[in-house]
Amino acid sequence: MSAIFAKRLQRELRELQASPPVGIAVETVNDSLKQWSIRIDGPEETLYAGEQFHLQFRFPEAYPLESPEVIFLDPVPVHPHVYSNGHICLSILYDQWSPALTIQSVCLSIQSMLSSCTKKQPPPDNQRYLMTAHRSPKDTAWAFHDDKV
Amino acid sequence: MKVTITEWHGAAYWRWNTDEDDDICGICRHSFEAACPDCQLPGDNCPPLWGECSHVYHMHCIHKWISQEASKGQCPLDRQPWEDKRA
Repeated sequence: MSAIFAKRLQRELRELQASPPVGIAVETVNDSLKQWSIRIDGPEETLYAGEQFHLQFRFPEAYPLESPEVIFLDPVPVHPHVYSNGHICLSILYDQWSPALTIQSVCLSIQSMLSSCTKKQPPPDNQRYLMTAHRSPKDTAWAFHDDKV
Repeated sequence: MKVTITEWHGAAYWRWNTDEDDDICGICRHSFEAACPDCQLPGDNCPPLWGECSHVYHMHCIHKWISQEASKGQCPLDRQPWEDKRA
């Protein structure tokens, strides 16, 4: 395992446990640090208030030079950018990834994506996507055409 | 009282003058005073490197990122084309 991977993940874990942002909590981290689950609370005064979701992060050896794989576990929020298999359409997880992003900043982006939602509905192409989706959303060729929701 | 100094030893301390708020590399999140995660010893062999955009990372970290296709040759913080700043 590369040194950059382990040391950065240990540091991020320490910081997230010491001062987690509101509504975000690390739940489990496996021994190799490669797989985490993080609880994300539906933000107050939004359509998701009172709901709790769980994100699964899987880190490749090349993290942070390569993006983590991030999906929602069941129950998946009903949201125009979240497919019902948990895959999330969010550019920073794919071609807009940067090593300056962190687990915390990814969680905050997802929290903000939930907050700005005005109507709970699945993506219009949900059924089609499920038929063709790879196991990992990182293998999907994403097209990003909507920054509004 | 008169004191005569017969011998003295100088001791000095230095640090990188990176002007960053928290003096950590935005890629590995280690201090510039420490080496990047792939180096054992801090110092001249593992220096910070500035880009023309004024952002600074460990030289080894930014070069690893830029050498990846996924980087599109861009600075991780502002997505501007990365160019090593000439001294």
